[in-house]
Amino acid sequence: MKKLIYLLFFFTGCIYSQKIEYSTLLISDSLKTNANAVVRFKQVDITIPAQDKMTIKTFSAITVLNELGLDDLDLAESFDKNRTINSIEATVYDSSGKELKKFKRKDFRDVSVADGFSVFSDNRMLFLDYTPITYPFTMVFESEITTSNTAFIPSWSPIENYLVSTEKSALTIDCNPELKLKYKELNFSGFLIEKIESENKISYSANKLKAIKRQELTPSAYKVFPVVMFSLEKFELENVKGNAISWKDFGKWYYSSLLSDTEEIPEETIQKIKSLIGNEKDKLKIAQIIYKYVQEKTRYVSVQVGIGGWKPMLAKDVDKFGYGDCKALTNYTRSLLKSVGVESYYTVVFAGKNKKDLQEDLSSIQGNHVILSLPIQDNLIWLECTSQIQPFGFQGDFTDDRKVLIVKPDGGEIVNTKVFTEKDNLEKITASYTLDSNGKIIGNVISKFYGLQYDDEFHMERESRENQLKSLKSDYSNINNLKINNISFSNDKDKIEFIEKFDVEAENYGQVSNGKIMFPLNAFDQYNYVPKKYKTREFPFEIERGYTYESETEITLPDGYSIEAKPNSTEINNEFGNYKIEFLQTSSSKLICKRKFVLFKGFYEKEKYETFRKFLETIAKTDNSKAIIYKV
Amino acid sequence: MKFFLTTLALVCISITYSQKIELGKVTLEELNEKNHVSDTSAVAAYLFKKGEVKFNYSQSEGFIISTNVKLKIKIYKKEGYDWANFSVPFSTGQYGQTVDVKNAATYNIVAGKIEKTKLKSDGEFEEKVNKYWSRKKITMPNVKEGSIIELEYEIKDKGIGSIDEWYFQSSIPINYCEYSTYIPEYFEYNTYWKGFLAPTVTKEVLNESIISTYKDRNYVTPTQFSNEKTEYRVNKTKYVLKDVSSIKDESFVNNIRNYTSSISQELSLLRYPNSPVKTFSTDWETIVKNIYEYDDFGPELNKSGYYDNDLNVLLKDITAQPEKAAIIFNYVKSRMNWNGMNGYGCENGVRKAYLEKTGNVADINLMLVSMLRYAGIEANPILVSTRNNGISLFPSSSAFNYVIAGIELDNQVVMLDATDKNALPNILPIRDLNWFGRIVRKNGSSAEINLMPASNSKENINMLATISDSGEVSGKIRDQYFDYNAFIFRDNYGSLSKESMTEKIEKNHKEIEVSEYDYQNLKDLSKPIIESYAFNSNNEVEIIGDKMYFSPFLFLSMDENPFKQETREYPVDFIFPHQDKYMISVTIPDGYNFETLPQSKAIKFPDNSMQFSYLISTSGKTVQLIYSLEVNQSIVSPENYAALKELFKEIVNKHTEKIVLKKA
Repeated sequence: MKKLIYLLFFFTGCIYSQKIEYSTLLISDSLKTNANAVVRFKQVDITIPAQDKMTIKTFSAITVLNELGLDDLDLAESFDKNRTINSIEATVYDSSGKELKKFKRKDFRDVSVADGFSVFSDNRMLFLDYTPITYPFTMVFESEITTSNTAFIPSWSPIENYLVSTEKSALTIDCNPELKLKYKELNFSGFLIEKIESENKISYSANKLKAIKRQELTPSAYKVFPVVMFSLEKFELENVKGNAISWKDFGKWYYSSLLSDTEEIPEETIQKIKSLIGNEKDKLKIAQIIYKYVQEKTRYVSVQVGIGGWKPMLAKDVDKFGYGDCKALTNYTRSLLKSVGVESYYTVVFAGKNKKDLQEDLSSIQGNHVILSLPIQDNLIWLECTSQIQPFGFQGDFTDDRKVLIVKPDGGEIVNTKVFTEKDNLEKITASYTLDSNGKIIGNVISKFYGLQYDDEFHMERESRENQLKSLKSDYSNINNLKINNISFSNDKDKIEFIEKFDVEAENYGQVSNGKIMFPLNAFDQYNYVPKKYKTREFPFEIERGYTYESETEITLPDGYSIEAKPNSTEINNEFGNYKIEFLQTSSSKLICKRKFVLFKGFYEKEKYETFRKFLETIAKTDNSKAIIYKV
Repeated sequence: MKFFLTTLALVCISITYSQKIELGKVTLEELNEKNHVSDTSAVAAYLFKKGEVKFNYSQSEGFIISTNVKLKIKIYKKEGYDWANFSVPFSTGQYGQTVDVKNAATYNIVAGKIEKTKLKSDGEFEEKVNKYWSRKKITMPNVKEGSIIELEYEIKDKGIGSIDEWYFQSSIPINYCEYSTYIPEYFEYNTYWKGFLAPTVTKEVLNESIISTYKDRNYVTPTQFSNEKTEYRVNKTKYVLKDVSSIKDESFVNNIRNYTSSISQELSLLRYPNSPVKTFSTDWETIVKNIYEYDDFGPELNKSGYYDNDLNVLLKDITAQPEKAAIIFNYVKSRMNWNGMNGYGCENGVRKAYLEKTGNVADINLMLVSMLRYAGIEANPILVSTRNNGISLFPSSSAFNYVIAGIELDNQVVMLDATDKNALPNILPIRDLNWFGRIVRKNGSSAEINLMPASNSKENINMLATISDSGEVSGKIRDQYFDYNAFIFRDNYGSLSKESMTEKIEKNHKEIEVSEYDYQNLKDLSKPIIESYAFNSNNEVEIIGDKMYFSPFLFLSMDENPFKQETREYPVDFIFPHQDKYMISVTIPDGYNFETLPQSKAIKFPDNSMQFSYLISTSGKTVQLIYSLEVNQSIVSPENYAALKELFKEIVNKHTEKIVLKKA
């Protein structure tokens, strides 16, 4: 402890124009390796004296070694009516530690945080737009903010980013014990982290953390880098007091403070819904009718003002305007269902293609998206209410397979969303093509998509013809001079099946030389992702979802040609998946290429990486293996 | 150039339209329409887009430009819902603007009848973007597939120097587009067109009057008010385009706005009663003069004294002018750091910028001109419009947004831009390479300067490889980058470590292993970049039966034709002319002989603008390939697109064509 106090004093207490401790010569070589920036010293001091008061003091000294490290400077603080910037300033030093320039509050620009069109928010920030005049340099940034929102306490991540090393990073929280500070430590193993805890105070610090280079297929940072998340049992959110002793209590609070008074639906709409439902008694069918009604009536627009950032817009307002954000549209659907006696739950999730769980043992405000869950017998059906085109009950890879919070009137509960297995996520191709003696192919392709492959593809039918062509040409980029004609689609939203049909034509698919033609038999189902080879694999790797690819292609040879050589059939089965490709001659002029590739979902230790890489390399190579035919 | 400048012979015809183009006239038929008539994939369309520019007089503020915009938009598909959200930016500075939204409503069919939902204040926000800009954001209520949206807004602008650009084309179709200007006789504006479309133009003269009230106070009698009526003529010009198809971006396009039909107007003359006539930017001479007089340009350029001591030391004992110029250019490049801001006017002022070592484009390059002049070199600023800003088509002070330095020597101009540390004389950052700039000479004269690189930037690749009897390939590559190729290499990879570069190559060319990576001359800009590495691959040779197949390009082959579109509407932009030359030598394993070799081939465009040649030969166990591709023009017109695509098809064929070896 003493050391820390000394350091703090040392860094903040004296102001000279030369700060020898910022000299970049003092950075050890091991911290410069792979680093674009070095966190020399970072101290965040958080004090929470009351449920509605939190002060965050930040002091950071970051050396930027080159221009790629410029993004690692975070020279900004946001503010709104419940968050005040008490002070903000920065000083820049050259590589010898000589002061170059000081920036006062007035040098920071005041800008709106919202950028794109449909996002409206009343949050603003002060930020410093700094143009470096020399590299390396060291930027010292100091700020103090006070907020009444104690629902979000900054988490501590001593490894701030890839390619950034840390000399020292520390955080201290001084909290009124009545508020009951909770915390959750993640991924500490393998990292030297110091922790000091007393009744009302907790602090963490870490020293000398080397810069890490990102490697392909590395799991998300929160699964591998150390981080500590904090929350309070008693907190305040936009002037509303809350508690989060357990998920059950938290859910209860959430429902009563943020949802219960938003449910009113105008009588006229209830009557409309009732007439749409008619005599239908089945809950699932009723939900389908209402989901369709919402999809047709509303559109997604993000509007976040004050508590609106957390509390959904009133259901009757969504009814009036026909738009809302994820909270508003989900809550509107829920309220409509409730108005006809069907129960459903507002569900908080971390959405994104990269799966992220809500931290189960840290009940607190988490997540970035809201969906609806509908209990039908013992199952939950998941409804994505922001999409106007998604099939009923089909959530896709935006919210699949992860821990989420369902908010019931009598409390919250953590559950897992639907898992799409490798069997579910199927693409099945049936194709045929005829090769002519100039190497040109003419053929047709029928692709059927299921599960998450459906999710990736079904938007195609709504695209313009140009985009459809662009997308197909990039899917089949292994075929040069590709022309695509007669595209048609069929989308079965009940079966979750999407079918694409089209004709193809490509000159020079086969290479003609000396009366022989060489061409890859497997034209339409080539896998070409081979992850990079690393001399040392540093991290485990993850395949977040499993998939199956199946195809059968019939190939007709030009008249008067015979096979000189064809590739051998291959089969590989291992812990990562199964692969089988067969090349069968069915008549003198016909061949069939049959292929099935199943990739499993999995989280694997780094030692297995090279085997996995080789597996995919072999597949890519085998998929592209060629036959040679000659003129008889 | 002719596809940009559709200088219009304005045909004046008076047309009356049978259908009223007004708000509030939504029909069931329009609401029932499922697809756009001529573009079934359109997600939305403007049923009309109408703009009226009027000059309103008020005694306190004089003339104010008021632009009234009326929009009627049909939403066909869910993907078009964004067309129901509006964002109208407006400036808030001294000559700030105000925006008023009126008559905003969404129309739908409900039970066979038209239902109108008005926009309430809940759907309207004003957002302060920063000190200079705000945005009015509008979110229309009750939008569904089939909805029609109507909206009117008025922008009031105190600045009368130019009238905001009006677009006749959009990424969705516009069924009817009308733009009218009502310009009082006191003003004359020059009108400029962009794009391929020609509107119908109607002209008319109207009469208007202003009533001014004056207070007479003579301290003897009580205050008297007198009214004075001033009558004046207003020239009305109406531009109409019907059935305007959507404009779509394509790859290899410089800036799609260059091809989007629009109209811009710049004040050319002020003729107030009882005042002398004042002319504005009507020609380049006037523009240049105005820019020169602009506080942040001419006076900044003429400031000196702030660098004298430093320069005197640097230039001590140097007599040759080229050497002086080089020293000054390098000095400014190394001292100054660009803050990312454009403009031909200084932001910080040269003096402050010099002191703080950072500034905008004008701070840096005007300082450079000033220093060159100080050293007795004939240097002048060149005004430029960056690629993002679009092409400057007509004489206007807003045509430019950037400035560089030029030295005129023996009918040649050497161009310098010190905002990029890797720039060299006549090697400018890519953002500058946008057709023509304008040099502004000391004596007030000006001239057009071609900014496009005249000579080919070369890349020479030497590869030596050996194939083992198991089909493994190993070898060495030496790659030399010249001129723009070197510039881009330095800008993109200058701060990457050799290890990262190794990984980058391995990533770009799958399934090879790279070692001994090295580069030279990264900091010595006078020399080409020389990159070298060794490689190893198991994936380049296919063994089928007793034969081996490989392309002599190995992993360097171009496998895909970059030109995939069937037809092309806009020119293809290669940015700078270039020449790639490969010298490849591959030694085959013992026990194998050459069975077939691809044929040598050369193709040339009749005007020599594009050519490639592929010369292959063997000697003993070695095959040698000399290949070159020359793109001698930065820009290829759409008429030549088919030929260009065909050429690249041939190139890809040659790149992928295999040599066949047979076991002896």
